Amino acid sequence: MSCADTKGKPALYQRVVLKNASPYHYMKVCLVLEDESTRLNAVDLKQFIISGLDSLYGEVGAALNFDLLKYDEDTLTAFLRVYSKGLVKLWSSLTLLGSYQKQACAFRVLQVSPFLLALTGNSRELQLD
Amino acid sequence: MSVFMDLNLVYSPDSSRLQRLVETAAHLGYSTVAINYVYEPTAKKKQDIPAPRLIKDLIPELPIVQGRSRPIRVLNRLTVMMSDSSHFRATAAEYRGFDLLAVQPTTEKLFHAACMICDVDIICISVTEKLPFIFKRAPVNGATERGVVFEVSYAAALRDSTRRRYTIANSTALMESCRGRNVILSSAAETPLELRGPYDITNLGLLFGLTDGDSKDAVSSSCRSVVLHAESQETASGIIYTVQHPEAPPTKTTGRHR
Repeated sequence: MSCADTKGKPALYQRVVLKNASPYHYMKVCLVLEDESTRLNAVDLKQFIISGLDSLYGEVGAALNFDLLKYDEDTLTAFLRVYSKGLVKLWSSLTLLGSYQKQACAFRVLQVSPFLLALTGNSRELQLD
Repeated sequence: MSVFMDLNLVYSPDSSRLQRLVETAAHLGYSTVAINYVYEPTAKKKQDIPAPRLIKDLIPELPIVQGRSRPIRVLNRLTVMMSDSSHFRATAAEYRGFDLLAVQPTTEKLFHAACMICDVDIICISVTEKLPFIFKRAPVNGATERGVVFEVSYAAALRDSTRRRYTIANSTALMESCRGRNVILSSAAETPLELRGPYDITNLGLLFGLTDGDSKDAVSSSCRSVVLHAESQETASGIIYTVQHPEAPPTKTTGRHR
């Protein structure tokens, strides 16, 4: 309700309570590789995550819908979006991914939130000194 | 809120590797870790029980835990691979140097003994082979009453798909009989890249058959209770007697008196 078209009328207050307002969960993940000079682009990364889903949950799991929203090739940091229902599946397959092209690797899940805005800051990495 | 603990980092003689492991654990947010010495007695050859190395010698400067401005706490732990009942001697002097004591039984009889009789803190569940026996309710309940916890480690699940299958199968079998209580999840990591963050493990617990709350307890409050259980075993039935020296730095003198 906009205030502009309510000329002369007293201001109205509306209280809206939303439960599970966001259908998605957003994850900020960072890939750590044993050999730090290895480069992989966004397509490789998505392919790698799908292969992880495939090895843990099979073809049905590999069909899980998720999106790679933003990816930084230098720091190997990516933002993923997934329907809340598939969060546990995606997260556990990321956790159990142990090797990329025969070298050891690990996904560090930095932040998980149902709102993308929440991923802009991180209270744990605040530098107070 | 309880802090996160990872009570199984595999010991290696290479101290720089161990140092990197502890640093990674601190970076991921674990407040307490235990370095695990594995003792595997065999019938043919007489082996010595490993002696724990002092943490100060191993890691000169303890790293600061992420999120809290305090150094990580490092414990020593011994795991006895038990394939015969004579392998675990209840009153061995060698056990005294360790903060935590664990056994890994390989037969049903030994599992029963470990749950009901042995003075241990942790019972390890094998994750690299098919479960050699089924978990009966009676010993599991007995262990729960005594405050002994069961441990499932996940590093084997990262290495290859066969062991991942065994890990999931054995842990779901365990969760059925203990209903998610008194279970801890730990890493058994040998390299820093085999460690995962505490929230990742909470999520992984769902895969192992735990519920949401139990899964978080498995990396936090259950671990805390097992460390407290070990401390009460270390002293005479939980009576703690300390002497305060005004100038001397505190040194640990108590051992296991079982």
